[in-house]
Amino acid sequence: MASSAVSDAQLIARALVGDDRRAFAELVRRHQSTVRACLRKLTAGNHALADDLAQETFVLAWRNLKSFRQEARFSTWLYRIATNCWLADARKRKEELLGDRDDAVADEDRADAFGGASAHGDHARGATLKLDLERAMAVLTEGERAAIVQCYHNDLTHEEAAYVLDCPVGTVKTHVLRGKQKLKLALAAWAPEESR
Amino acid sequence: MNDDTQSAVATPGEDWLDGLLHADVRDGRSSYIADQGFTARVMQALPVSLALPAWRKPAIVALWGVALAGAALALPGAALDVVRETYRLLGAHPVSLSGMAGAIVFAGALSWSAAAYALRASD
Repeated sequence: MASSAVSDAQLIARALVGDDRRAFAELVRRHQSTVRACLRKLTAGNHALADDLAQETFVLAWRNLKSFRQEARFSTWLYRIATNCWLADARKRKEELLGDRDDAVADEDRADAFGGASAHGDHARGATLKLDLERAMAVLTEGERAAIVQCYHNDLTHEEAAYVLDCPVGTVKTHVLRGKQKLKLALAAWAPEESR
Repeated sequence: MNDDTQSAVATPGEDWLDGLLHADVRDGRSSYIADQGFTARVMQALPVSLALPAWRKPAIVALWGVALAGAALALPGAALDVVRETYRLLGAHPVSLSGMAGAIVFAGALSWSAAAYALRASD
């Protein structure tokens, strides 16, 4: 196994030049957690689907490793592939998605529903927040969800998120803004008293 | 978010939703997803490499080198023979201007037909 001192770039070079699968395996081991976590967020907590998409992501990364030009970090490039995999899958499953329902009445209903699960003490707060956030993320459109996940969960700048989502920076900012407005409605029960 | 709105901890002035999102991110970062055979599954799913084995490339280069060297040794004599015979034939049978024009038109038509056929075949 390659040591942690070996950089991603060195492992990529080994995988490319020598067709070294062990080097690529080390890259998968290094990045599997973040890629799977990102996809779990995008799939609103569907772990099985997220892992399938993560596997597809790494297979595509192996196939297209030659096209990785180091213009972004390897992890950012993986996020880009992962997001594309998720979008392609989401389009296939369009009818199963809740994400595209946009009407205000539905938002209010959901806000009420999430509120019931959130009025707990500190003990269960973290777990409840996670669950409520996953459900609230399902309210967002694909673009909004992807932008929120890239900018908050993956800690990317707007520019990096624009690279991952393959869209202008302004679109990322709009998606984040709209997404947050919807999340505020869905998570109204978590709002402090003075802001309700 | 890696922006001016970002903060590791939700501050009193911060948007309450930013605070919630950051709290969720902090929770997520602390929980590393264990591999549990994931890497092995990915490696099994990788396509079989179509790349040539490492020894094939130098061998092919060496073979091309030998072929080119052989051609370089054999060609000067053969090329000279071809030029000499062509000159002799043309000298023995003087060609008229109209004959040369006809030959050029014929050669051009042949080239264009071959190119058109090749392009159609590659579509």
